[in-house]
This record gives sequence, C-alpha cells and structure tokens, in this order.
Amino acid sequence: MSVIATEGLTKRYGTRRGIEDVALHVSEGSLFGFLGPNGAGKSTTIRILLGFMQASEGRATVLGHDCWRESAVLKREVGYVPGDVRLYSWMTGRIALRISGRIRGRDLTQRGGELAERFGLDLSVRADRMSRGMRQKLGLLLALAHEPRLAVLDEPTSGLDPLMQDELADVLREFAARGHTVFFSSHTLSEVEQLCDRVAIVRDGRIVADESIADLRARARRTVVLHFDTPEHAAKTAAPPELVHVERTGRLWRAQLETDDPRAFARWVAAQPVADFSLSPPNLEGVFREYYRADDDGGAT
Amino acid sequence: MRGLVEKILREMLIPTLLFALGLYTVMAILTFVLPQLQGGIGSILEQLPFVKTFIGALLGTEIGDDISAQMFQAFLFVHPVVLLTTWGHAVTFCTRVPAGEIDRGTIDVLLAWPLSRGKIYAVESVMCLATGLFVLATGWLGHLTTVGGMPDDMRPSGIGVIWVYLNFFALYIAVAGLAFLASSISNRRGRAVGAVVAFIVASFLLNFVAPFWGPARSVDFLALLTYYRPAEVLANVEFPLRNIAVLLGVGLTAWAAGFGVLSRRSIATA
Repeated sequence: MSVIATEGLTKRYGTRRGIEDVALHVSEGSLFGFLGPNGAGKSTTIRILLGFMQASEGRATVLGHDCWRESAVLKREVGYVPGDVRLYSWMTGRIALRISGRIRGRDLTQRGGELAERFGLDLSVRADRMSRGMRQKLGLLLALAHEPRLAVLDEPTSGLDPLMQDELADVLREFAARGHTVFFSSHTLSEVEQLCDRVAIVRDGRIVADESIADLRARARRTVVLHFDTPEHAAKTAAPPELVHVERTGRLWRAQLETDDPRAFARWVAAQPVADFSLSPPNLEGVFREYYRADDDGGAT
Repeated sequence: MRGLVEKILREMLIPTLLFALGLYTVMAILTFVLPQLQGGIGSILEQLPFVKTFIGALLGTEIGDDISAQMFQAFLFVHPVVLLTTWGHAVTFCTRVPAGEIDRGTIDVLLAWPLSRGKIYAVESVMCLATGLFVLATGWLGHLTTVGGMPDDMRPSGIGVIWVYLNFFALYIAVAGLAFLASSISNRRGRAVGAVVAFIVASFLLNFVAPFWGPARSVDFLALLTYYRPAEVLANVEFPLRNIAVLLGVGLTAWAAGFGVLSRRSIATA
C-alpha cells in the first residue's frame, strides 16, 4: 500500500511555477528521501500533502485520505516538522507535549520524555529562550512523540549539530524498523544517501528521478582529477569516451568516469603527459549533480 | 478541544484580564464622575457650542440646551475609552488566527495538529465571544460598583442598562466578525488590524459628521455606530431589536465570510 500517492500534482502561484505534474508513491515502512535544491518545490509538495495548500491540478492521498478534504483525519496519523520550526513564545516542551497530547487524545509525556532525553532537550525552557537547534528538537518531538504512521520531515537536520544529526538518523531508522514511514526532505545528498532506501529528486518543480538508493549506487561514477604537465597539454588532449562532464581549468581536468572497470582508463592516463591524477571510489554525487545540473540543453538526463 | 482551549487561554488570558480591568476602572470612574459634571455642563455648552455637537454625535441623538440626567448616563456607554477598550479586545483576539499565526510562522504547528480549520475557527469564535462577554460584564461590574453613589433621579433603569449592554455586545460581535474576516484574508496581522481599525474609524467619523453634513447623512446607515444608540434606549427603555439584528447580521455575515475564505485558502508561511 502507498502511504503517499500523488498523480499529476500541480501547484501554480498565478503565473509563477510551484510544482508540475508530481507523481510520488511512497510505500509503508520506507525511509523515503525527497531531494532537491532550494526552491525546487519540496516544501510546496509537503504543504499540499498535509492539506495546508490546495493543488491547482492532480490528486494526492496520504494513508488513503484525500489531502485537502480529509486533512484533519490524516493528520491524526502523521507527524510533521516544518522547514523552519517556529513555536509559540510561551511554549515549553512540557506544555507542548501536554497540549499536543490533549489534541491527539493520548498521553505523550512518556514517549516525549524519552525522545527529549535522546535529543538532549530540556523540556522546561520557553520557546522564546531556545536556540534554533532546541526549537528544531522540540519540533521533532512534536512530530514523533505520538508514534505516527508517517513522519513528514522538511529539512529536519537544519540547526542540529553533527552528533544530533546522527542521533536523529538512529531514531528514524528505529522508527522505520517498527513499520512506520519517513518522508525525509533535504537538499543535502549525504544525509539522504546515508538514511534513505529510496529517493525522489525534484528540480524546477518536477520529479526528475524516483529510484532506490541501491539502483542509483549501481550507476554511480568515479570522480577523476588530472593534473597535466602544462596548460597547453591540458588544452590539446582529447578526452576518452568514458570520461564525461570534463571541466578544464588551466592544467587541471575534473571529470566523471563512466565505466565499471577503471583499468583501461588507467592505461590511457599512463600514456598522457600527466603529472598527477586521482580517482575516487564510485559515489552518488555525480549522479545527483547530473540531475541537479542547470538545464542548459533542454532536460534532465 | 481542551488542548486548543488551553492554547487560546495561554495567549489571551492576560490580555483579556487587562482589558477587563481597564474597562472596570473606566466604567467605575465615569459612573462616579459624570453626576458631578452634570451641574456645570450647561455653562460649558454655552461657552463651547461644539461640545454639544460632539456629545450629540457620540450619543447619536439631538440634545437640547441642557442634557438630561438619563442622557448624561448614556455617555458612559459611548465614551471613546469604553468603545476603544472593547473593540481593542475584539481586534486583538480575532486577528491572531490565522493572520497572526501566519505572520510569525506558528501556523505550521497549529495546522499540523489533527484539527479541521472549521473546528479551529469555531473554537476561536466561541472563546472570543466568551472572553468578550467577560470583558463587558466586568465593565458592568465597574458601573455597579459606583452607581450606588449616584442620585436616584440620575440612575438609569436596570432593564434599560441590560438592553444597552445587549446592544453593546451586538456591536462587539460585529467588530469581532469583521476582524475574523480581515484576519482570514490576510497573511499579516498588521494589515488585518489596520483594515479593521480603518473601518471602525471611518464608521465612527461617518456617524460623527452625519448629523451636520447632508452627504454623510445619506450613507450613515453604513456606520456601525448608527445601530448603537444607548441614549435612545435609556430614554425609551425599549429593546433595540432592529439595531441588534443589524449588528448581529453584520457580525455573522462577516464571520461566515471569514470562515468561507479560511476553509478554501492555501496557507503558506511568509
């Protein structure tokens, strides 16, 4: 069953583009990454999924409920962390858990307390005296304490230090292991790569890829850096066909190696006037960069 | 719903108590001071005729060369501080959601809870009416605190005061309804407050100039204060059914329009 399902989802702000023809299917129990640069349409999609905004076209369901018409019902089983967590100035963690618990009809103090301990959050501090990181932690607490079937997290690591980001990743892995679903929006490749099992990439309001991380890894390339003897050699040398996205700067070439077997390439390098070179292990960055790359020639690859 | 009520009380309990305390104090002082002013008012009106126009405009009725004791008492209920205090409460309360919440970004927390917009609007409305009633009742209490010291011939009839208060509450509902509508349309609380204050000021000025300026008189039915006439109610001890019905009509229409807008609009934090 798809926890999130959208078809042809489109949002326009007058003549300005929001999102266009977004189709998503997120299965239960998955850690789903929603990756894209700033302004790509991630938050707009999330706001439609939660019923904050109405789509101009298309349909969206969460847990089988229509996102606009049944928003209040679906939010019983959804937790949400906004991209920029802003809280009521008078709110402490304890009050937030009490009010949220009363609205949701369940006692959140125990689970909320456990999460607060893991995140190192003092529940007695008022929101207007909290740092950005503390507000983020309280936002996470409010989203996860009721053990929702689906957690929608819009750039949840912003404001968290690296140790706390690791702790959050652990919490989310455990959460998914219990059968819950995580929809994790981010513009940072590394955190999606480490955490998620599937990823959709959004660019300019459109989904340009929706694949498992394992499939993406199979297509991952190596990054190559070549230092030629002289700028003239660097300019005159023709790149072999397996070397793509070659960027030439003076004596330097930076490129992606599109082959499973780098040995032939190493032999080619040995025959060139090269002073030094480096070859990275396969990584996803090149794949993602390709999706992110400015659309100079008319479309994503 | 208890959680939402607790949230509203955390935001509005102290402001409501301050508005109530302010109205209590003003009503108690005015009730105490006005009888002592009545003796000298005749000579003031003689020296400063525009004061008569001003008081007449506030009371919404023609006053003769001398102001009757009952008419003087009606001044209690149209004193600008009294009006501003009650309207201030209505505007403060009703522009918090959604405009105030969108403005400061907390709407994401509110909308993430499993509450329909209709439920949020309904609970906000009920709490607005309840706290507004409390503020007005506290004002009445202020009046009762010092009315004992008033000469018998100056005391307004008990039933007359009740009718005036009902009319006053209907006026409060009209302002609150307009504030809810402005808040539902806007993403900025300042703009919502500005729109309602502009409407109230325009309404007040229209009502003020209508008695002595023909063009204004032809459109004074648009002014909310046209439907709030404590002097007439106290003089005739007559239930102001038409005025209350008009004010409730304005309030409910604006309130319903506000709900219509809120339930259909897309909300994004600024």
